[in-house]
Amino acid sequence: MGEIIEIFQTQEWAMRALIASSQVGIMCGVLGCFIVLRNMALIGDALAHAILPGVVFAFILVGYNSLAFFTGSVLAGLFTVIGITWIQHNVKTKNDAAIGIVFTAMFAIGVIGISWISRSEGVHLDLKDFLFGNVLGIKNQDLYLISGVLIYVLLSIIVFYRYLFATTFQPVIAETMGISVKFVHYFLMLLLSFAVVASLQTVGVILVVAMLITPAATALLLSDKLNWVLVISGTIGFFSAVLGLLLAIMFETPPGPAMTLTATAFYLLAALLAPKKGLIFRFFRKRKQEQKVQLEDTLKQSLKLHELGTLSFQNLLTRLGYTKAQLTKHLNTLQTRGLLERNNKQFKLSTLGIDEAQQLVRAHRLWETYLVEKIGLTGEQIHEDAEKYEHLLTEELLDEVDASLGYPSIDPHGSPIPSKKGLPSFPLSHLAVTQTATIASKQVNEQISSRLWQLGLLPNMTISILKKEETTIQLQANDQRINISSTLARQINIMPTK
Amino acid sequence: MYNTISIKGLSVSYERKRVLTNIFLELEQGKICGVIGPNGAGKSTLFKAILGLIDINVGTILINGQSIDTQRKTVVYVPQKNEVDWDFPATVFDIVLMGRYPHKKVFSRINDTDKEIALEALEEVGIAHLQERQIGELSGGQQQRVFLARALCQRADIFLLDEPFVGVDVTTEEKIIQILRKLASQNKTLLVVHHDLSNVPSYFDTVVLLNQRLIAFGDTLSTFTEENIAKTYGGQLPILHKTGMIE
Repeated sequence: MGEIIEIFQTQEWAMRALIASSQVGIMCGVLGCFIVLRNMALIGDALAHAILPGVVFAFILVGYNSLAFFTGSVLAGLFTVIGITWIQHNVKTKNDAAIGIVFTAMFAIGVIGISWISRSEGVHLDLKDFLFGNVLGIKNQDLYLISGVLIYVLLSIIVFYRYLFATTFQPVIAETMGISVKFVHYFLMLLLSFAVVASLQTVGVILVVAMLITPAATALLLSDKLNWVLVISGTIGFFSAVLGLLLAIMFETPPGPAMTLTATAFYLLAALLAPKKGLIFRFFRKRKQEQKVQLEDTLKQSLKLHELGTLSFQNLLTRLGYTKAQLTKHLNTLQTRGLLERNNKQFKLSTLGIDEAQQLVRAHRLWETYLVEKIGLTGEQIHEDAEKYEHLLTEELLDEVDASLGYPSIDPHGSPIPSKKGLPSFPLSHLAVTQTATIASKQVNEQISSRLWQLGLLPNMTISILKKEETTIQLQANDQRINISSTLARQINIMPTK
Repeated sequence: MYNTISIKGLSVSYERKRVLTNIFLELEQGKICGVIGPNGAGKSTLFKAILGLIDINVGTILINGQSIDTQRKTVVYVPQKNEVDWDFPATVFDIVLMGRYPHKKVFSRINDTDKEIALEALEEVGIAHLQERQIGELSGGQQQRVFLARALCQRADIFLLDEPFVGVDVTTEEKIIQILRKLASQNKTLLVVHHDLSNVPSYFDTVVLLNQRLIAFGDTLSTFTEENIAKTYGGQLPILHKTGMIE
């Protein structure tokens, strides 16, 4: 490390290289976000190659001069973009083919030009510098140019952020708002050619596209807000360039590839570790979901065995097909949540556990009913689908399904659909016209009990349904006719008459 | 004349294929107008023509008596949900704020007033609590509400909505129609491309029946008749017979 610091203290070229690289990193990082979001990676690559003839013509006209190279390159870049866009709009050639045709032609012209002029004596224009950059040969004049371009690019993005945002997200809407999508496109292309030209000496034609794409793609994994994506991408671009340069000096490798690989390393890190979008996070989320499904299946099968009176560890094991360790783990979780009670090796579901399990059965059977009634599937096709969806459907959605089916009481296989948690097991609404039943002494809550008392419906009173309409139910109790809403009817617990 | 769209003799064709032929339409303020017609009837093309997004071959379209270019602020377009990249790094609030863009000069910034207007719009459509969500993390109904909120945020006078009820839940559908009615009562002009024929009479004050030509236009009650619907949709069958697309 000490050696490196000494190099930067004593060698001016090293300092110039560092300043140039860091600025290029920021510039490409920020601008690259728009390139990536607009699916224009190929255009970035194309522009980089296509500016070669601009450099060559500038050299022929003016000689070795950074500003002349810059002007020539930007003109060549714009010529390329206009050529590509013209073909895309007027000739029946596919978009990416149009890009390929134009930039390779431009590059070819440039290569021929270079081989021409390098025949004369004392010419310092090397194709290799153009292809791979020559960051260690950067002059002060180049530095001023790069700084100027960086400031121009950043200011443009800040000032025209709204236009860039709108045209990138929804070009049609931007157009209806009076923003010229075409103008913004060309403006962005101008900025891109600036950035590409300014980056050539640091990373070269071949790798400049890496500085544009990789930090931007990394930032897009890390944030969901465009302004943050721009900041993060610029920061990653900065560190890729600086670290890459340091590594290049330390290990005596070419700087361009070192910067590219540093950016790639950042990308891989983000792809693995990013919150929400990273592979590791997604792996754990998937695993968590699988665990939840297994736990819920354990609970549901426990209920089935509980109803058969044969709830035991061994029976659960055969039904579920998990390993002993897995099942033990799930049973422990159920116990800590108070859904399962255990006494030595004997265990049984708690009241809470039965309630919870019944909600799963409700989800399963409601979904099966929905598939048959609304989608028109047959009995054999529905079970597996319901096995999956019983774990995914939210309570809100289930209520909507329940309502759209008219609160069914049995599923397509003829099994009863349990009521929603907190609702009676035999609600009054399930009673058909002319059937009789008695009001249960136990209601789901105090409010319902007192409401019943107000209506004159007392426990153990025999009632029968006279009429059922969409919103009201008319019933006979003793000699009285009472109208109640169907919402209330769903909350009243009844007992079948013996 | 306020909040009006006047279309005279409009014809549009793409690559020699006629899409719209000789359309005359006068849309008034304070009405919700449904645009009904089969696929390929030119409904979207009509919208694009009104919005000035495509070249028109023949005819004129005037918004409030003037060309669209001077009326951009007053006309807002709510596109179909499926035309959008939902992975885009933007939150609900970012998208709704876009509604303020037409009101901003090049160098002016989004300020607190703009943010208040955006928040108000979000509250009106009932998704203010989702303002920091990335747009891809919303349900279909919520996504449609975001676009509607953006349109409200633009404070426009003429609304063009393309299939706003496709892929949304029942509650959202009710909410949208409720907001459209409110806008109509404020004398705005609303034009809605719509697919589901069953609720046309309850949703729209007037209808445009379109199948490349204007089949009928007028009050829903007198215009949305079986005869006109048959003319709009049935007319395709003989053509398909001739080209051999159906037996």
